[in-house]
Amino acid sequence: MNINQLVALAPIITLSAAAIAVMLAIAIRRNFILISGIAACGIIASLLVLGIAWQESPVQATSLIRIDEYALFFMALLLLTGLAVLGFCHDYFKNREGENEELPLLLLTALLGALVLVASSHFAAFFLGLEMLSISLFALISYPLNQTRSLEAAIKYLILSGASSAFLLMGMALIYSQSGELTFSGIGRFIEIRPAMNIMILSGVMLILAGVGFKLSLVPFHLWTPDVYQGAPAPITAFIATVSKGAVFVLLLRFFISTNSYAYTPLLTVFSAIAVLSIMGGNLLALLQTNVKRLLAYSSIAHMGYLLVAFIAGGSIAPALAVESVTFYLVAYFITTIGAFGVVSVLSISQAEAGEISLYRGLFWRKPWLAVIFTLMLLSLAGIPLTAGFIGKFYIFTSGADGRLWGLLLAVIAGSGLGLYYYLRIIVVMSMSIDVAENEPEASSNGWVSIVTLAVLSMLLVCFGIYPNYLVAIIQFVSYSAR
Amino acid sequence: MTELLGWVPLFPFLGFLTLVLAGGRLFKPLIAWIGIGSVGISALLVCLIGVDFLNGTVPFYRLLLGSWIAMDDLSAPFGFYLDALSMTMLFVVAGVGFLIHVYSAGFMESDPGYARFFAYMNLFVSAMLVLVLADNLVLLYLGWEGVGLGSYLLIGFWYEDPNNGYAARKAFVMTRIGDTAMALGLFLLFTQLHTFDIQSLMRLATGQWAPGTLLPVASAALLLGGAVGKSAQLPLQTWLPDAMAGPTPVSALIHAATMVTAGVYLIARTHDLFLLAPAVQFAVAVIGTITLLIAGCAALAQTDIKRILAYSTISQIGYMFLALGVGAWSAAIFHLLTHAFFKALLFLAAGAVIYCFHHEHNIFKMGGLRKAMPLTFWSFIIGGAALSALPFTSGFYSKHEILLEAYAASPGLWAAGCLGALITGIYSFRLIFVVFFGTQSRTIEKGLGLSMSVPLLLLAILALFGGVLQIPLDSVFPVNPASSDALTLVSVITIAAPFFGLLIAVLFYLTHTFSSQRFANYGWARPVRKLFLSGWGFDALYDGLLVQPFTSIARLNKNDIVDRLYLALAWLGRELHRMISAAQTGRVRWYASSLVLGTVAVIALGLLS
Repeated sequence: MNINQLVALAPIITLSAAAIAVMLAIAIRRNFILISGIAACGIIASLLVLGIAWQESPVQATSLIRIDEYALFFMALLLLTGLAVLGFCHDYFKNREGENEELPLLLLTALLGALVLVASSHFAAFFLGLEMLSISLFALISYPLNQTRSLEAAIKYLILSGASSAFLLMGMALIYSQSGELTFSGIGRFIEIRPAMNIMILSGVMLILAGVGFKLSLVPFHLWTPDVYQGAPAPITAFIATVSKGAVFVLLLRFFISTNSYAYTPLLTVFSAIAVLSIMGGNLLALLQTNVKRLLAYSSIAHMGYLLVAFIAGGSIAPALAVESVTFYLVAYFITTIGAFGVVSVLSISQAEAGEISLYRGLFWRKPWLAVIFTLMLLSLAGIPLTAGFIGKFYIFTSGADGRLWGLLLAVIAGSGLGLYYYLRIIVVMSMSIDVAENEPEASSNGWVSIVTLAVLSMLLVCFGIYPNYLVAIIQFVSYSAR
Repeated sequence: MTELLGWVPLFPFLGFLTLVLAGGRLFKPLIAWIGIGSVGISALLVCLIGVDFLNGTVPFYRLLLGSWIAMDDLSAPFGFYLDALSMTMLFVVAGVGFLIHVYSAGFMESDPGYARFFAYMNLFVSAMLVLVLADNLVLLYLGWEGVGLGSYLLIGFWYEDPNNGYAARKAFVMTRIGDTAMALGLFLLFTQLHTFDIQSLMRLATGQWAPGTLLPVASAALLLGGAVGKSAQLPLQTWLPDAMAGPTPVSALIHAATMVTAGVYLIARTHDLFLLAPAVQFAVAVIGTITLLIAGCAALAQTDIKRILAYSTISQIGYMFLALGVGAWSAAIFHLLTHAFFKALLFLAAGAVIYCFHHEHNIFKMGGLRKAMPLTFWSFIIGGAALSALPFTSGFYSKHEILLEAYAASPGLWAAGCLGALITGIYSFRLIFVVFFGTQSRTIEKGLGLSMSVPLLLLAILALFGGVLQIPLDSVFPVNPASSDALTLVSVITIAAPFFGLLIAVLFYLTHTFSSQRFANYGWARPVRKLFLSGWGFDALYDGLLVQPFTSIARLNKNDIVDRLYLALAWLGRELHRMISAAQTGRVRWYASSLVLGTVAVIALGLLS
């Protein structure tokens, strides 16, 4: 390993160092605010180091990890998201009884896993990153130990995630048994030589798909999503919805592009079926849902379906455009989802999660700014113009239309129509008048960190919705580096 | 001075904004000062500009205020165009408008919607000023729709009564029919000539189109559609009598003096186009003639004081259309001017009667007011004389000119016009005799304030002597060569016609030599009277022809057949939601087995495809 590679790996190394620093700090002195501060500094340091790594890229650091602009861009996105989640966690947990100091540590390790995922170019790195992320998440979900719902959610996630990892490993083994390769580029070369896919390879890919599909909560593998979303503390739900899903999707895209799996049409057929099922299933499940966290869980299923449309389009259009669409959509989805769960988090008192829609009644009168931000986020999720979500959806349509995926686009349209119904329903509920005798929840733990984070997110949301050019320019640059 | 033109419509608009935004909180005299003052400043500016313009030698003046719509070759700027025609209209709109505003301060005094009233009035005046000043058809259309909106808001001003709301909607919808035709005309002109600027349009049309060909005929006919709707001419006249539901100053300003004459203005403004389409121009004359006759007859049978005046307005605008149709452009605009004076006077005087009678409209419940309300009485006498065109009143000069020019064009049209003049004489003096003579039925306790009597006085002077106001319109219109040699006999008959009408009115309603009651109960007269009273049954006709079929189709579709499809979709969505929600059991066993089943299904699908 030369100095070049070391510099390229610096963001990951910095974050690891931060995790160790946090661990040591906990041993010395238990202070949640201090620990959160150290963790935040670690993330910011890692972000700064990213800039240096950017100069060196692209670098193949060992056969496991490839640091290129694509990886670095998503690392930055993940780190920023992690920072926002840390901010929400700070306000959410600061008044809670018990020991909260391990929470920032777990967030850092989960982020570390996600960073490894987006940079991996080898099955080993893929699996290690994924497991690091997942195992941290089990603990994070069950962090409020005194709550049975959280524990239940964590155990469900643990068991099902374990099963899906088993599928994943089996799939990797099957591919290895045929090709003798574990690197993505090696598999790509193998596929190039043998264009017809044999049953072993196909089964292997399908098993990997099942594992990945579980993490992304695509339709036949989606059943865990609402339970876990509902059980986890709101900031952690935000983390699952964004960092965990985003990192896995980025990996999936890289895997497909670097192995050129688009050449296999049966794969695209399966993906199309999954996309349609996810879009329709997610939206239909959300339709009459009365718990906001479950509703957002179902809507995230649908959003992954939308993303798949752009992903599938990569088979028939220039891969760079598909990557560009997916990337923009992911950025918009990250901002929006973090913002939406951020609002839920601000409204939640640590003891009672603000899940039921009835708690949102009259929010426009009680907390107008929060309601406005939530409305913005919901409109962006629905893909209404002037928000980043609209531009994202526009990208999906553009790549879908370029790839002539009319059936899938039809599903996107139907799904968006259904989506509008339940997103607007929340807005309507928020604007209803409050009953006189409604016992108002006490001024909840709305710390300034969350408020500032939400304000920044809303600004970004509107900025990217009105003037996306700057972001688009960066993303286009990044997309051409994806290999 | 002319460069101040831009401020003329702006002041009333600012007044509107102020009153709309702050009106409810303002103190009453201040509301009146803002509402009247804004129009007053405009009127003052118009006077200054007018003096400057009439003394100057330039035939027209253009003012470009800024860009409004500009893309590709389409451009519609905020541009104003002042010539003798728009100058005349400015005098009418700002001058008469100002007097009516002053009158309203007294008339609406005790109304709770005082600020709202002045806000709407200011909006209307502002839009009307834009309409007459616009140098392009799009800006004209903005003003055109703006006055339509003002009219709608003011007819339905007393919105608590659903009938008033109905009248407002009727006016809006009926004029909208005409406006649709006009908009189509605008599109046609633009697609053919690629400009909206009125002067360039006229120049291009005259240069490129041969007279009587399809394009000028079609575009002139479409513009005529708009004019017919706005000016309440056949067949779109039915809205105007119902529009009397609004407060009386509104009827005076919008439905007598200004807005309803916008159609006349539009045709005069685009007269070059009509000259290229002789068939349409003749249609204008025919429409005007028929309208003036049927509206005059309808006025004979009415008992509501305002409806009589409304029908007389339709009839007088019919004269203006007749004049436009025979090419007597200047006479049409001249009649527009004098009509604005005497009809505003009559409406305001009628308003004074209504005001003192606590909103009584039926003329047969009034009577003998001659002594009790001398100013109102004399206003009516002057207004009625001018309306029937008795010599030396303003209406005489304009109407005489129209009829003589009509004779030159077609003796048939002239004869109909003279018959109309006779009818005008009858209904005008019928109104006066019934209301002001006979026995006094009630005592009057309310007097007219200064703000109501001064405008009456000034308008009476204008109605009497307005005939000497001759604005030189020759720079705008081609001179009609046929108007010079009129026969003496024709002149005499023209002058005598209203006197016959007056005589008939005297015999029936003053001396009661003949009983109007007995006359009306003759076998053949009774259905005729009913027909006249209903305004020739146009409402019933349209109701049977259009409204009933439409409502019956609507009734047929009461359960919204098309909506069933969407309801079914919604139902399907809910059912599907229920079905797949059943899968969310919360049991890990089921979740894990679904994971396995899903994987098997995915592999199977991959292998099979």
